[in-house]
Amino acid sequence: MKFNVIEDENAAAVGNALIKVMSLFFIGIMIIAFTANPISVGTNEGQRAPDVEGKFYNGSGWTEFDFSGYFNTSWQEGDVSGQWVVIEFMDTDCPYCQQSAEEFGQFANTFSVNNPEWNGAHVNFLASATELDIQGHDSDRAEIEKFRSDYNHNFPYIDDIDQDNMKEWGIPGTPNYFLIQPDGIIAWSSSEHKDEKVSDAIVRLVPRESA
Amino acid sequence: MSSNALVGVYLLPTLIGFLIVSPWGSSFTSSLVDRFPSLKTARGQLLSGLQLISLAGFAVSTQTLWISSKISEGGSFCSSTSTFSCDDLLGNSELNVDPVLGLSWGLIGMAAFALLLFIVLVLKQEHNHPLSERFVSMGLLTTGIGILIIGLLVSYEFQEEKVCLYCTTAHIANIAAFVGFFRLRRLHENRDEWNK
Repeated sequence: MKFNVIEDENAAAVGNALIKVMSLFFIGIMIIAFTANPISVGTNEGQRAPDVEGKFYNGSGWTEFDFSGYFNTSWQEGDVSGQWVVIEFMDTDCPYCQQSAEEFGQFANTFSVNNPEWNGAHVNFLASATELDIQGHDSDRAEIEKFRSDYNHNFPYIDDIDQDNMKEWGIPGTPNYFLIQPDGIIAWSSSEHKDEKVSDAIVRLVPRESA
Repeated sequence: MSSNALVGVYLLPTLIGFLIVSPWGSSFTSSLVDRFPSLKTARGQLLSGLQLISLAGFAVSTQTLWISSKISEGGSFCSSTSTFSCDDLLGNSELNVDPVLGLSWGLIGMAAFALLLFIVLVLKQEHNHPLSERFVSMGLLTTGIGILIIGLLVSYEFQEEKVCLYCTTAHIANIAAFVGFFRLRRLHENRDEWNK
């Protein structure tokens, strides 16, 4: 039996170079893999929460919102002194948002350090108010202020009428809730736990003094 | 060692490589010819300079990917209130990835400089490889695209009013490599000089 062997005298140069470069690339990736544990940004549980931008209303006026200011990246799991965040993506004209608004306000009062009956970490409540692309859902800042006042909410409302934050977070509909750890990592999202209320998630996940 | 001072470890070989591939490279390397015979010819000189630049570029790109990864964990590396704060750029999840595929710029830099290094190593071993002309053109095209990307990344720095020294070192390495491949292509067109 005869074999026709094709010899390429130049293959060695390419092969040698390829082995060297691939090895170098592999070493570089291995160094990163062994010395860093990157966390991606996203809205799934375990991911770092994306930024929330825009002006916010706290009862006195509209000022620039600083979402990162709520987080401490050096927070350690179980540390009760760290403050958690619940953010609701809502539309002031959405009927279900209106129905749940009163209850949401009660949660904000319940899971606060100002409530002596709550011995867990403080939970900051936020609402990002958008304007859904549905007929009759026109909104403006005055409507957001009125909504906040009507339900006696004392937490900040962020103006997301342009839907920037909603798109950034990939919110499919309102209301949508997220519970975020003090280090900025999403601990719970309503879209991943359709049968669990945000209050139940707080009780389950937020550390308490006696726990 | 300050994180901004550490960048010198990458910047120094990049600048030496830049000097070697520049038109004034021969006067710089003349004293080193006895120790490094490959520097005798213009081709050897350019390929040596490009090898140094590609290695430094690869290393600094790896470092930027590592910094991005550490920041995403919640750590900080070169955070500063001054203009020179790479954390503000490498830690920005919108700006530290390419807008099309969402790949980290550090990883793209690693891949680009690894490709340049591959080309240089092949040409160093077999300068008359059948694909040598294509390899040189590929190096020139890669670094040319790199210059367009540098324009985008510098616009991010203006937007954020911050300067990332690690990124700037990788940009310098790309520009130096572009100069090197440009001169290598011209040398390749002159067969007598190329085969010296």
